[in-house]
Amino acid sequence: MKKIKIDFILNGTEITDEVPVNITLSEYLRDYLKLTGTKEGCSKGECGACTVIIDDKIFDSCLILIPEVDGKDITTIEGISKDDLTPLQNSLIEEGAFQCGFCASGMVMSLTNLLSKNEKPSLEEIRESISGNLCRCTGYKKIIDAVIKLTKAII
Amino acid sequence: MREFEYYKVKNLKEAINLSKKFGKNKRFLAGGTDLIVRLKDNLIKEENIIDIKNIEELKGIKEVEDEIHIGSLVTFSEIIESAILKKYSPLIVEASKKVGSPQIRNKGTIGGNICNASPAGDSIPPLFCEDAKFFLESTTGSRVVNIEDFFKGPGKTILKEDEILVKIIVKKWKENESGFFNKLGQRNALTIAIASSCVKIKKSNEKIDDIKIALGSVSPTVVRAKKVENILRGLKEYKKDEIIKICDEVKEEIDPITDVRGSREYRIEVSKYLVFEALNNLLNIRG
Repeated sequence: MKKIKIDFILNGTEITDEVPVNITLSEYLRDYLKLTGTKEGCSKGECGACTVIIDDKIFDSCLILIPEVDGKDITTIEGISKDDLTPLQNSLIEEGAFQCGFCASGMVMSLTNLLSKNEKPSLEEIRESISGNLCRCTGYKKIIDAVIKLTKAII
Repeated sequence: MREFEYYKVKNLKEAINLSKKFGKNKRFLAGGTDLIVRLKDNLIKEENIIDIKNIEELKGIKEVEDEIHIGSLVTFSEIIESAILKKYSPLIVEASKKVGSPQIRNKGTIGGNICNASPAGDSIPPLFCEDAKFFLESTTGSRVVNIEDFFKGPGKTILKEDEILVKIIVKKWKENESGFFNKLGQRNALTIAIASSCVKIKKSNEKIDDIKIALGSVSPTVVRAKKVENILRGLKEYKKDEIIKICDEVKEEIDPITDVRGSREYRIEVSKYLVFEALNNLLNIRG
């Protein structure tokens, strides 16, 4: 398979690599870089488990062909915090927002992106922000409660 | 994912020339939210992928006198955030809000939605209500095509092998125009329409001067319900029973299939009420 050169920023670090063109960003992250924090659920953009932030917007990394990342600034769950967990992550833990945890990194990415643009989102805005992330065990309520609790604390 | 040759083009001319060279044996990569899934599922036979995402000529939303020109690479998120479209073409904005999820809307493009020609494409019913025109360009020049002449069936359009959708042209709304889009899915987000309806009305006082009704997911392409439009045009008073009876006539204008999302019978029945719901939001219906 023909390879292509890509040059991009991942979690603050510049990366240059040569990769086959027919892999997705989620495959590249997990299989090539062994950054397995990003989960892949449906592989067709329906579950949001593989959500990453690219240039301040959220995307399903399973729907990004690797040549498309050239020149982009990408943040994955591994790049959300340096040492400690973020206040959002702590709030999610305190609320018991996750059971199996498979949706967790995608949820954290979508909610982190929301909070970076909107410190005090409404209930509707919180729900909308995770409308592309499926959770099949805790059923969203505790996830939303964790954000409400956190954003009230911010005020 | 299957193997393919990947080409990133910088401008429209390059895209068209490459497209001419490969003929049928190519696919354009715009947002990729459909193409990449289909590549994974091994449903793409074409061996050449032309990435058109960096073509500036296909980007942006512009006001041009009484028209709005929407570049084919404009994403649904860009449509939703567009002050110009919110003000002058709100139905396209409303329909775009119903597309997929925030992640999909950040990537999926209106041009991709149109050229995939799915009868369930969310952006297409409002474009029928707007009498949109498509600006196409190929190696032999450009042409403008009316939306009603563009779609030939599920996944089929009149686009020639070396032709590309450059922009979508709609007229700005006037003050006496209003509209309503509704999409029925199995849930709110991340769903493909079982049926959708879009209604645009031009009123003077309470009289319907003009009306356009477009229905999605209930025929091989999105369709206009022109018979129903003709019955409604000119009406001034609206009684619930009579309006429902008129809406029932949509069954003469659609030809739905039965699939995993819904049966033919259900789609016929629900189309009637989707149109009624839209009219109920736009007109003062009594009783």
